[in-house]
Amino acid sequence: MMRCVRSLLRRPAGEALAGALALALALTLLPASGKAEDLVVDLSDDTINIESNFTGANIVVFGQIVRDAATVGRPEPYDLAVIVSGPETRVTTRRKGRFAGIWVNRDAETFLEVPSFLVTHTSRRANEIAPRPVLEQHRIGLFNLNLPITGDSGVPMSDRDNFRRAFLRLRVESGLYAERSGVIEFLSDTLFRTTVPLPANVPVGEYTVTTYLLRGGALLASNEQSLVVAKTGFEQLTYRLAYNYAAVYGLLAIALAVFTGWLAGVIFRRD
Amino acid sequence: MPSCPAGCDGCHAGALALRLALFVRAHRFNDQHAARDKERRSRRCLVQIYLPIAELPVNMFMLFGMGGAVGFLSGLFGIGGGFLLTPLLIFSGIPPAVSVATVTTQVVASSASGVVAYWRRKMIDFKLAIMLLVGGVIGSALGVWLFDMLRSLGQLDLVISLSYVTFLSTIGGLMLVESLRSMARRRSGAVMPARKPGQHNWVHGLPFKMRFRQSRLYVSVIPIVVLGAIIGFLGAVLGIGGGFMMVPALIYLLRVPTNIVIGTSLLQILVTMAAATFLHSVSTHSVDIVLALTLMVGGVIGAQFGARMGQKLRGDQLRLLLALLVLAVGMRFAVNLLIEPEELYSISVVEEVA
Repeated sequence: MMRCVRSLLRRPAGEALAGALALALALTLLPASGKAEDLVVDLSDDTINIESNFTGANIVVFGQIVRDAATVGRPEPYDLAVIVSGPETRVTTRRKGRFAGIWVNRDAETFLEVPSFLVTHTSRRANEIAPRPVLEQHRIGLFNLNLPITGDSGVPMSDRDNFRRAFLRLRVESGLYAERSGVIEFLSDTLFRTTVPLPANVPVGEYTVTTYLLRGGALLASNEQSLVVAKTGFEQLTYRLAYNYAAVYGLLAIALAVFTGWLAGVIFRRD
Repeated sequence: MPSCPAGCDGCHAGALALRLALFVRAHRFNDQHAARDKERRSRRCLVQIYLPIAELPVNMFMLFGMGGAVGFLSGLFGIGGGFLLTPLLIFSGIPPAVSVATVTTQVVASSASGVVAYWRRKMIDFKLAIMLLVGGVIGSALGVWLFDMLRSLGQLDLVISLSYVTFLSTIGGLMLVESLRSMARRRSGAVMPARKPGQHNWVHGLPFKMRFRQSRLYVSVIPIVVLGAIIGFLGAVLGIGGGFMMVPALIYLLRVPTNIVIGTSLLQILVTMAAATFLHSVSTHSVDIVLALTLMVGGVIGAQFGARMGQKLRGDQLRLLLALLVLAVGMRFAVNLLIEPEELYSISVVEEVA
C-alpha cells in the first residue's frame, strides 16, 4: 500500500488524482479486515545520496492513521513513535584510567549489535506513552535500547550501567542518536508528519523506519519502511576502490602525490 | 475492480482525502525543503567537502590553511612537516588512523617536489639511498603491522601520543641546546673546530663495509639499514617523514657530506612514505585520497613561500625556532596524557554486523 502512495506522489497531479479516485473507490468497496486501526506511512525519499557537498539531509516521514467503520472512539489520544535505525554494528566503549601517571584506555565493554544510527521521534514523552516492557520490546526511547554485551566482559555488574550511559551520551553528542518528543505534527486527527534530520556524519547502509501506533499503552499497528543511505558518484567510487581494489588505490594515491609534487617543482622552479 | 499499479492490496477506506492531503502537503513541504537545501548547499559547497574514507565533511579552507601553514614551515626549515600535520589533523577531529595514513601520502608529494630539484643539481647519492630504503621498507612493513594491531587493541592513540612525546621532546631538546650553543659561540666570536677527514667514530668499526662514491664514504651497511628501518617504522606508525631525524643522523653519525644529505634523505623519505601509503591502503584502508590532495595543494604552495623566507634567516636562528616548535608539539601531547581528560569514555566501531 505504501508503494501506492509513493507512486501517486510521484506522478503528475491530474493523473494522481484520477488514480487516487479509482483507488479510493476500490478501497471503500473492500471488506474491512479484522484490525480496527492501520497505518499508512511513506518517506519523502527512499534513498539518501552522499556526494562531495553532503552536509546532512532531512527525511520526512508522513502518513495517516486509517480507521475503519468498526473503530470505537475512545477518550485516550493516539500516540505515535517513529524510529529511524541504521545498520547494526559491534562497538567497543573504552574508559581511560590512570596508569603509571598517564591517562590510558583501561576498561572496555563491547556491545554486540547496536544500531549505528538511532533516532526516535514520539508524539509524547516515551514514558507517558506505554509501560516499560512495551517500550523495550519496540526500542522506543534511547534508554529502552537493549545493548547486548559479550559474555567475556571484564567489567563488573555494578559498573556496566556507566558504560551503557557513556555509550548513549557519546552517541547523542556525535548526533548519531537522538530522542525527541512532541515533534510529530498532526495535520488533522489522523494525518501526521515528522522531519528527521540526518547529520553529515550519518553512516552508510540500509536503514529501517518503523512507525508504531499506540493507544493507552497498547500497540495498535506498526509499519516498516526501508531507507538507503549510500555514497554516490565519486565518493562511492573512491570508497569501493579503497576497499575492494586496495592495491590499485594505493598505487593511485602514490602516483597522484608524486605527480602533484613534480608539478609543484616544475611550476615553482627557480633555477 | 481496478487494481493498484504497484500491486498492493488490503488498503483501507477513506483513502481519497488522505492521498490528496498527503500529496499536496508532501509536495509543498518538499519544495520548501528543496529550496532551503539548495540555498544552504550553494552557500556551503565551496567550503565543505565530504571525505569519502574518513566519512565526514570538513571545511576545505581549514584544510588548505593547515596544509599551507605546515608547508610554509616545511619550506622554512627543510623538513617534511608530517610531525606537525598529523597532530593538527587529529586535533581537528579527523580519526587518528586516517590522519596518519593520509599524511604519509602528503609527505610523498612534498618530498617529490624536493627530489626533483636536488636531482637536477645531481645532489643525490643513489647507492646510499637504496641501502637506506632496504631498511626503510622493512621498517614500514613492521610499522604498518604494529599500527593495525594497536588499532584493534584500542591503544593506537596512546602509542602515537607516547611516541610523539618521547621523540619530539628528545629531539626538540637536543636541537634547542645545540642551537643555543652555536648562537652563544657566534656571539663570543669563537670558531667551531673543523672536522678532520680521517676522524672516525664507533660506526666505522662495524663489518660489511661498502663504498659510496658520491658521498666519498666507505662505511658498514649495518647502521645505514638500521637507520632506514627506524625512520620507516616511525613513518608508518606516526605518519612522519622523519627528515628531521634522518638529516642529523647522516651528518653526525655517518659523516655524509651536507650537500648530499638533504637530497638523499628526501629520496629515501619519498620511497619509504610511498611504501607506507601502499601498505596502509592495503591493510588499514585508511588513506583518504581527497584529504591528501587538499593537503598537498596547500602544502606545496606554502612550501615555496617558506623556502623564500628561510633564505633570509640564519641557520642557528632557524634551528632554534624549529626546536621550539618541535618541543611545543611534544608538550601538547604530554599535557594530554598527564591531565585528566574531560571525557573518559570513547567509542570505536569494531565491525559491521551483517
